[in-house]
This record gives sequence, C-alpha cells and structure tokens, in this order.
Amino acid sequence: MAKLHWFCAGLILAATTARAAEAPADAVERGAYLARAGDCIACHTAPGGAEFAGGLPLDTPVGRIYSTNITPDRATGIGSYSLEDFTRAVRQGVAKDGHRLYPAMPFPSYTKVSDADIQALYAYFQHGVTPVKQANRPSAIPAPLNLRFPLAIWDVMFLHEGAFRPDPAHDARWNRGAYLVEGLGHCGACHTPRALSLQEKALSDGDGSIFLSGNKFDGWFAKSLRGGDQDGLAGWSEGELVTFLKTGTTDRTAAFANMAEVVQHSTQYLSDDDLGAIAHYLKSLPAHQGGSSAAAGTRQAAATAEDHPGRGSANYNQFCVTCHRPDGGGAPHIFPALAGNDVVETADPTSLIHIVLSGGRIAHTSAHPMPFAMPGFARMDNRDVAEVVTFIRTTWGNNAAPVSADQVAKVRANLTQAEVKP
Amino acid sequence: MTSEQLKMKKMRIMRHTLMAGLVIMGLVPPALAQTPTQETPPAAPVKFLVPRLADIPDDANGKQILYGRRLVMETARLLPSNVGDVLNCTSCHLGGGTVAGASPFIGQSSASYPRDNPRAGHKVTLEDRINGCFQRSMNGKPLANDSAEMKAMVAYFNWLSADVPPHAKVEGAGIGKIDKTLVPDAAHGKELYGTKCAVCHGTDGQGLKNAKGEFVFPPLWGDRSFNVGAGMARTYTAAAFIKRNMPIGYGLNGPLGQGGALTEQEAVDVAEYFSHQPRPDFPAKVNDWPNGGKPKDARY
Repeated sequence: MAKLHWFCAGLILAATTARAAEAPADAVERGAYLARAGDCIACHTAPGGAEFAGGLPLDTPVGRIYSTNITPDRATGIGSYSLEDFTRAVRQGVAKDGHRLYPAMPFPSYTKVSDADIQALYAYFQHGVTPVKQANRPSAIPAPLNLRFPLAIWDVMFLHEGAFRPDPAHDARWNRGAYLVEGLGHCGACHTPRALSLQEKALSDGDGSIFLSGNKFDGWFAKSLRGGDQDGLAGWSEGELVTFLKTGTTDRTAAFANMAEVVQHSTQYLSDDDLGAIAHYLKSLPAHQGGSSAAAGTRQAAATAEDHPGRGSANYNQFCVTCHRPDGGGAPHIFPALAGNDVVETADPTSLIHIVLSGGRIAHTSAHPMPFAMPGFARMDNRDVAEVVTFIRTTWGNNAAPVSADQVAKVRANLTQAEVKP
Repeated sequence: MTSEQLKMKKMRIMRHTLMAGLVIMGLVPPALAQTPTQETPPAAPVKFLVPRLADIPDDANGKQILYGRRLVMETARLLPSNVGDVLNCTSCHLGGGTVAGASPFIGQSSASYPRDNPRAGHKVTLEDRINGCFQRSMNGKPLANDSAEMKAMVAYFNWLSADVPPHAKVEGAGIGKIDKTLVPDAAHGKELYGTKCAVCHGTDGQGLKNAKGEFVFPPLWGDRSFNVGAGMARTYTAAAFIKRNMPIGYGLNGPLGQGGALTEQEAVDVAEYFSHQPRPDFPAKVNDWPNGGKPKDARY
C-alpha cells in the first residue's frame, strides 16, 4: 500500500442536499485545468482505483486515514454539495455535515483560491467528473485521537482565511506565479518546514523566508524552491524550471519520487504562461535567512570517475557509471547528471541516499513516452552507499559534505517494503 | 551427490581456482592450467557472481586489471587505431561484461579457452575471441596478443572469472534464448523503433552524443556502427539481446534496470528492422562457417 505523507490529501465527507444546476462548458473546462493545478487527483485517487473516488491510504502521525470520494455521486461523493458547501470544504476544511477535515487536505493553501476559480472547480467536480459510488473508508486513528474537535483549535491558530491579495509592488506575472504557488499549487505542503504542531511555518514569502526553504519528510528532502538559495533554485534559469515542470527533466536533472508524480499528474498540463509565472515568482524569492546553504565551490575541470582512487570511485564505476557516465554528465533528458546537479549537493543528503537505495522512476509525460527509471541498490551495505554518495558529492567539482554510514542507516530504516524489494 | 563426491567436487573447484589464480599471476601458462578433457564439467551452472572493483588490490596486477576494465568501458576513445566505429566493448557486454544475460565476461577466462568456435571452424583462444569483436562489432583491427592492451583486457576477464572453474557453465552466460520460429515483421519493427528506441539511439540510428560530442548511446547502423559480420547484425541474436537488456534504466530491478520493454515478438521485429539497415561490410566473412552450420539469420 502506498505510503504517502498525510498532508497531501483532503477528507471531504458526503452529505445529502440538492445538486447544483448545469454549469457552462467553459467553466467545467477551466475547473478541470485548475484541478490539475491543485493536483487533486494525486490524493483523491487510489492506485488502480476510479479517478477522484478516494481511498488512498495516508499515514499520519496519529494513524492511517483515507482520502475521500470527491466525485459527484450523491450518496458517497460530493454530488449533494452546494457551491457554499464546496467552498467551505476547500477553503476552510469543513465538510458539509460540519465535521472538520484533517489538514492533510491543504486548505490553509487552498484558502487563497479566488472566488472565480472556486466556482470553476465546483462546476468541474459537479459536471465534469464521472460519479462513482464508493463509500469512504473510516480512518484508523485510535480513540481518543480520532476526536475531531481539536482540529477546530488548530484551524483557529493556523488557518489564515482570505483569498490571495496581489502585491502591488510586483507585476501581474509575478502575482500570477505567487497565486499558483501559494494557493492551488500548495508547493509549501512539501517544500516548507513544518512546526511540531504540523502547520507550515510560512504560507507565503511575506510570512518569512522559511517559506519553501526545503523540508524533510516521508524519507525525502524536498529541496528549497527559493531562487536565492544556493541549494535551492539559484543555479536554475526560468526556462529550465518551465522545462522541468512541463517534462519532468532538464539537460541535467530529473524529477523523482513525489515530484515526479506532481509533474505527471499536475504541472505537465499547465500552460507555458502559468509555468513561466511560477518560475518567475520562485526565482524572485531571496535566500532563506539563517538557513543552511550548500557551499558553492569552485568547479574544477571535470575529470572522469576513473581518475579518482578509492572505494567510492570503484563503487561508482561498478554500479553507476553505465547510466551516469564517467564524467557524471548522464544523458540529457534521459539519465540525470550528477555533476552540477544541485540535488546532489544539497546540504541534507536524504534524497540522494534514498534514491540510491530505492531507485525511482521519472515522470511519465507527453514529452517522455519512455518513462526511464533507476534500479534501487538496497542490496549495498551502508558503508558502500556512504562511500559512493560521498564520491558523487565531492567529485567533478561537486563540493558538498561527506555522508556517513550512520546517515545511510537512518534513511534505510524509513524505506518501505516496496522500496527495498520492488 | 554423496559426501565423497561433494568432497571431490570441492577439491576440483579449489584446484581450478588455484590454477586460475596462478594463471593470472603469470606463474602458469594457460595451456597447462586447462582441465583435462576427460574430466566432465560440473553439471549445474555455477552462480553468477560479480567480484567488486573496490576489492582490486592496489598493486601491479590490480592496475593491469583496472586498465583492462577501462579499455572495455572506453574502447573507442582509448584504442582509436583498433576501433573503426564508435562502439565500446560495454556497448554490447553491458556493465563492462558484468551483467547476466548481456554477454557477460564472467566465465570467459584464459582457463576456459581455447574453445570450439563453429563460426571459425576451429578452436579459438580468448585473444582470438576478443579480436573477433574488434574486427566485427567494432569494425576495426585486431590487437596484438602480446600488446599491453590485450594483456590488460585478458587480466580483467580472468579477474572477473577467478571463482569460476574452467569450462564451467555460468548462470546468465550469453544472451539467453529466443524463439527462432517467430517470423519477423520489419514494418512493425520500424514503428517500434520510433517509439521505444529512437529516444536513445536516434531516429536515424545515429546514436546520441552528449554536449561534449561524446557518444552516450551507440549508433545502430551506418558507417559508425558494427559491420555485417557482428553477432548483433543477426536478427535472432539481436532480438535475444534486446528482449533481456533493452533499454537500460527502464525497470527498478537488475543492475542496470535493464529490459522488460518489449515482448519476444516485438524484439524480433525491431531486431529485424535495425539489424538490416545499411552498415559496413566485413570482407573476411567468406571464411566464416567453413564446416557448414551457418545459422539462418547470418547476413551472408
């Protein structure tokens, strides 16, 4: 069963009232686009299940919950929701029957979605989605943690209601990017650090430069998306970002793990204008104050891996060199480069260690009919992995801190069974 | 197997290992190290085990093994006088001959040669076998048997096979089987090539270069690819290879995530298509299969 982080999904329970009247086709179409932008399908569809019918298990710190049916089926989905019910659920995290949703549903971000967009989304979920009769599964959270009234307190403290307000200091493109990133895109759900009480520490750049400054979760490190951060997007051009979000790859890197799914289900469908706005906005974010940042080392002329002595080099030549090449250059848009790829140099090596152990698949997009993959190397022991990861982080001009066998052991301990034996 | 037989087998394996070691160390000529012909090779194939590069000793022998490995990985760049196209040994012997089902070198040691070779019509040495690749798959010229390069390559092969008893069958040897009764459909193969292969090997089979102009994926036809005398120019040989090994980086298992993209029929179709594209001739082909037995997919 897929282990997904719990704040990636919503819980909307059905009730029974009248359904909205027919909506104009263009609203439905616009709603479909916005649902892509919000990546609703990622959490509200179980593997092999009907679209938007819910049932995806999400492991939360307090127990397992299941995403809900958001198809317009009247009995088991949201077919009976009025526009007001729908708006309250999306923006405030309150279901039609009044119960509070777990903040796995990113309503603190969705609260910024404009009225017009909410209406289009409503039109789509009422008229553009096939109704599926599939009852929601009750959560497996044990008593008394399953009581939902404390969620009201959480909401009071951490939900800052109110639609997105454009910043007049910036142009329309920047504001469009901010609207998508902070709102439907809910990028911060993965990329912004969370407090112990699980709320994102910032929901916009105005809240502080910790916004999108990188966050460890689910055994991965979701990198900083701040244009000013060296291990964020400092080395990226806006054009590269657009290509990345559209295709899942660039000349030197590829989306992996949860981000590959985001590209596959969501960003590949966004217009070039919207992707350009997102890139423009992210690149404008200054460096996170007080955060760690990878040292930007002087790049040496790239030597080939075989010029380097030691066990790390030997391991690289044995296990990695066929795809990632002796010079760490990979193959553009096929196999990611390891030289000059900032994921490799991120201060927190969790993702690099994780992907060496588990492998992964690139996003399946219209640009890539062949979804290439990396096999996992969980069969290698912690020392071998540490040596090869250290080699990768310190060769070809890469200049990041070495990795220890203990760090590898910690990442290994969080792997799922499917990751160890795919 | 009785305990006595087991003991005998263990001793035999130990002797073979010892002899292979002595051959590598240059103490015993390969001819003396060979198993007497009357001895029956072990019935069960030995496990496919790849020794670790990290365990190669930092001495003269270790350096020779690593040089051999490097020649296998970067053949075209390092041996331009001997390689007439742009391929490397590892283009077909994936992972430098360490991948089961991708014509691995494990079991291909001095101790396992000379071997009967129907194509040559006589026994060939390991050096002959390697030079066959240089002249066919790499469309070039043979290395001298006593050259430092040939000795290094043989040292690498012998190191990979150090734990394999001479002439033993090894699991994962060769490229596996393919159903040769399948009738190839070249038109379907062309279509498949476009959707499944061209992303790496180029729409015109010209391969893929990186920004530095180095080939990352080899050309499959044309002047810079293997000639008609290569095994890969034969439909069923190519099909067996493709089915098990192409593409790399496609699955989550195996040392390279290799294979799994095509059915057996699809592999035959695409092999028929690309293997029959224009490619260099091999004039010495007239000497092949002098005693008959030419396979039906030979190109001449």
